[in-house]
Amino acid sequence: MVNKFSRRTVLSAGAGMATTLAMPSILRAGSHQPLAGKELRLLTWSDNTGLAVLDHIAKPFEEKTGARIIADRTGSTSEMVAKLRAAGDRAQYDVITLAGVGAVELAGDGLLAKPDLNLLPNLEQVDPRFRTGADGHGIGYLLWTGGLIYNTKTFKEPPTSYAQMWDAAHKNRLFLPPSTWTDALDTIFATGKMIGGDGTNADEAFAKLAELRDSILTFGENPAQLSELFRSDALDIGGVYAPAFYAKELMDPANSNMGATYDVDEGFFADLMYTIVPKSKPGDDDVVHAFLDFTLDAEVQGVMAEAVLNGPINQNAVMSEAAKASPFIIKPEQMGEAAVVHDKSFIADVREDWINRYNQTLS
Amino acid sequence: MRVGLLPNEGGGSYRFVIIALAIVGILISSLPVIVVTIMSFSAADNTGFPPEALSLRWYWDVIALFTADDASSAQSVVDSTLTSLLVAVIVMGISTFVCIPLAYALARGDRRIRGGMELLFTLPLVFPLVILGIAFLLIAESLRVDIGIWRIVIPHVALVLPFVLRNCLGAMNGISVEIEEAAVSLGASPLRAIWDVVIPLMKAGILAGLIFALIISFNEFTITFFMYTIDVSTLPIWMYSRTVSSLDPSTLALSVFIIVADVVLIVLVDKLIAGRASLF
Amino acid sequence: MSIALSRSRALAFSLPALIAILPFLGACFYIFRFSISGDKGTIDGYSIQPYLDLMTPFFGRSVWLTLKLAFVATLVAMLLAVPLAFLLTSLRSPLARRCLTVTILLPLILNLLVQAYGWILLLGPSGVLNSSLRSLGIIDRPIFLLFNETGVLLGLIQTSLPLAVFPIVSSVRGLSQEHLEAASSLGASQWRTFFDVTVPLLRPGLFGAASIVFAFNASAFAIPLLLGGRRVQMMGVAIRDMISPLFNWSGAAAAGMILIFITLIVLLFSSWLVRMTSENVRH
Repeated sequence: MVNKFSRRTVLSAGAGMATTLAMPSILRAGSHQPLAGKELRLLTWSDNTGLAVLDHIAKPFEEKTGARIIADRTGSTSEMVAKLRAAGDRAQYDVITLAGVGAVELAGDGLLAKPDLNLLPNLEQVDPRFRTGADGHGIGYLLWTGGLIYNTKTFKEPPTSYAQMWDAAHKNRLFLPPSTWTDALDTIFATGKMIGGDGTNADEAFAKLAELRDSILTFGENPAQLSELFRSDALDIGGVYAPAFYAKELMDPANSNMGATYDVDEGFFADLMYTIVPKSKPGDDDVVHAFLDFTLDAEVQGVMAEAVLNGPINQNAVMSEAAKASPFIIKPEQMGEAAVVHDKSFIADVREDWINRYNQTLS
Repeated sequence: MRVGLLPNEGGGSYRFVIIALAIVGILISSLPVIVVTIMSFSAADNTGFPPEALSLRWYWDVIALFTADDASSAQSVVDSTLTSLLVAVIVMGISTFVCIPLAYALARGDRRIRGGMELLFTLPLVFPLVILGIAFLLIAESLRVDIGIWRIVIPHVALVLPFVLRNCLGAMNGISVEIEEAAVSLGASPLRAIWDVVIPLMKAGILAGLIFALIISFNEFTITFFMYTIDVSTLPIWMYSRTVSSLDPSTLALSVFIIVADVVLIVLVDKLIAGRASLF
Repeated sequence: MSIALSRSRALAFSLPALIAILPFLGACFYIFRFSISGDKGTIDGYSIQPYLDLMTPFFGRSVWLTLKLAFVATLVAMLLAVPLAFLLTSLRSPLARRCLTVTILLPLILNLLVQAYGWILLLGPSGVLNSSLRSLGIIDRPIFLLFNETGVLLGLIQTSLPLAVFPIVSSVRGLSQEHLEAASSLGASQWRTFFDVTVPLLRPGLFGAASIVFAFNASAFAIPLLLGGRRVQMMGVAIRDMISPLFNWSGAAAAGMILIFITLIVLLFSSWLVRMTSENVRH
């Protein structure tokens, strides 16, 4: 009896049934569903950006190809890296979406396969700067962008500098990103630039950040918590933080009190996210490459950009007029002077030290 | 007549202080849950408190979740709930089965050994769960065998042992050797005496242990977060991927569902084990 | 007549539990081995560097903070748990008993993220408490009860309360009636009976409960993360940071070993106290 509960049996029975049911349509669809019956195991974020992956990438992919996607939607990038490291050469996933730093780390461990770029025709349309990374192990996905989040009740006009965070009027109404997020490194960088350096002047930046120590209400460990604090008018400003978490709230500032801006003197931050493929993936190559290619599709990129306010990397991304006009979505052509894209090797060098110092300076 | 620790009348300042502190305790335990429950009945989309109008709309959303085919995660919420239940029941069974004889041995055996053993069985509580999670995961991955649901059961058993043992021991403390000796002198074998006399007297403690095991395993998140796989996952994991994205009233309605599920489990165990002579 | 437990039977009775805890001991050994690893991410070679790296003022403060908060939270939790246990054992209606039991268990049941959210609605800078106090004109500026040590303390007390109440309930049930009756028939006041009879009799149970609560609180990490707004660096948080974004697993293992070592000392001390005091009570 106990066996009845085994997920595997349930799954295979389900899959069997699905195939039987799908038979006629496969026969009819013929070559239109070349991947029918294949499975792809996907690991993505637990937050709303992961949910968007399922709605706007996985579902249409299933409909188009007939493949079945089993998605695991748990964790942040660093938790994904921890799980994959522990699993070593027995990965349970075929494709993972994650932030740049995670791809670089896993590639460094030798756990990632190099996708065959010839099987990814959509890559042609991608801005050449964002095609691959992590030494060819990561395929560009979307741009994660960070700026300032502010309270629309307090600020009639969007703030134009990170220096606003030091304003005594916002004491105890300020938030910062948690030390463990890449956004914290961005914050250090932004502080460095604000006081006249190039961003790598960490010592001065930390001295300046230390002044905020008693002004911080909380660190934004949990995006939903922050949105509640904005809604109840308990926060004024904070950053560097990603508008991506707040696609819904930013559309409705009257209720959420939330606004976001990239238009600050010190610039905004952009980080290329990747899709990666573990070396020991359980699934087949063709379905994996088809999926990677699908994430770069002009329509998919446009829909995703609108859903989670990430920057599309496909230059032909199809976006609605509203999305094109949206100040929260950074388009590749806007990645000019104002965008700060970190040198990954520099970040890798200072990361541990900066995380520790950020913690020690502020909490 | 039983002399209560809490006098029914009179008692002046003593009674007042005890009751006041108990009320503070109850409030601290339940306030967040009360707020969340009220909010789950809100008619609004946002989470202004207190809500201006009430409705059941979020509950219908949750019911739809359970009945509709859910593509937002590897496991449907129904599968995860079943796995959670199965794990919790196995964990409850194993931990109680091993703790009752241990509690007896410790209560009747050498006092010095008892101290050491108690300490040993408190250890799982002391270890920070994150690091235990990583350790269990690394060990499980190095086994190179698929142990299915036991991936989660084995760490859970370790986690609940301290609770089950403490409760069983607490119950044993009140049982004097004389009662057992009386049974033996009436001709029962020592094992028989344990079964017929000691265990019924331990019932309250055993029950408390069972319920703790059930609840802790059913709701455990941190270690399970490391141990789950796409094939074997639990309700708290499923719940996590929902709450991280947004805390809308439907999540709160779902939380209320989970609380109700837990309460049903508690009452069920209570009924099954204690029967009419329910001790809770 | 021998009711005393023979060594072999005691062993046979303990064996199943020892087997059940074996995988955990394996994990403990694994963590210990990791804490003296020469490499940060894998077990490779031997080194005490992970421990040396922790000898910083920052980590020291974190240890101190952890002990302080765990201690205060334990004290308060015990202060609330004893009356709750009395109340629970003196309730006559089974329904009332069940309701109270479930209420006390609630903090263990509900997802911490959701509970933290409940606290924000209540005690946040614009929560129910602050807005009512403000509208009553008692305060001008919000009082900050969350995202600092107060918030963490509150959360620790809340989550550890059930762990304190139930062991005390078991001990209360085991209290010998004769002692209480004797005391009350001698006309001792309620407070006198409480301090001179009840507390000494309950002492082993109280220390047992307190030590379990202390251990639980010392290793907490979700509460300082959610209700401390990450501003309260308890050791559990520091260890989590080392595991996942820093991937300093040997450092995390070493910090874990230090935390366990400290907690064990506290536990040993309390079990020593129990033995001392229960010997005094025996007559």
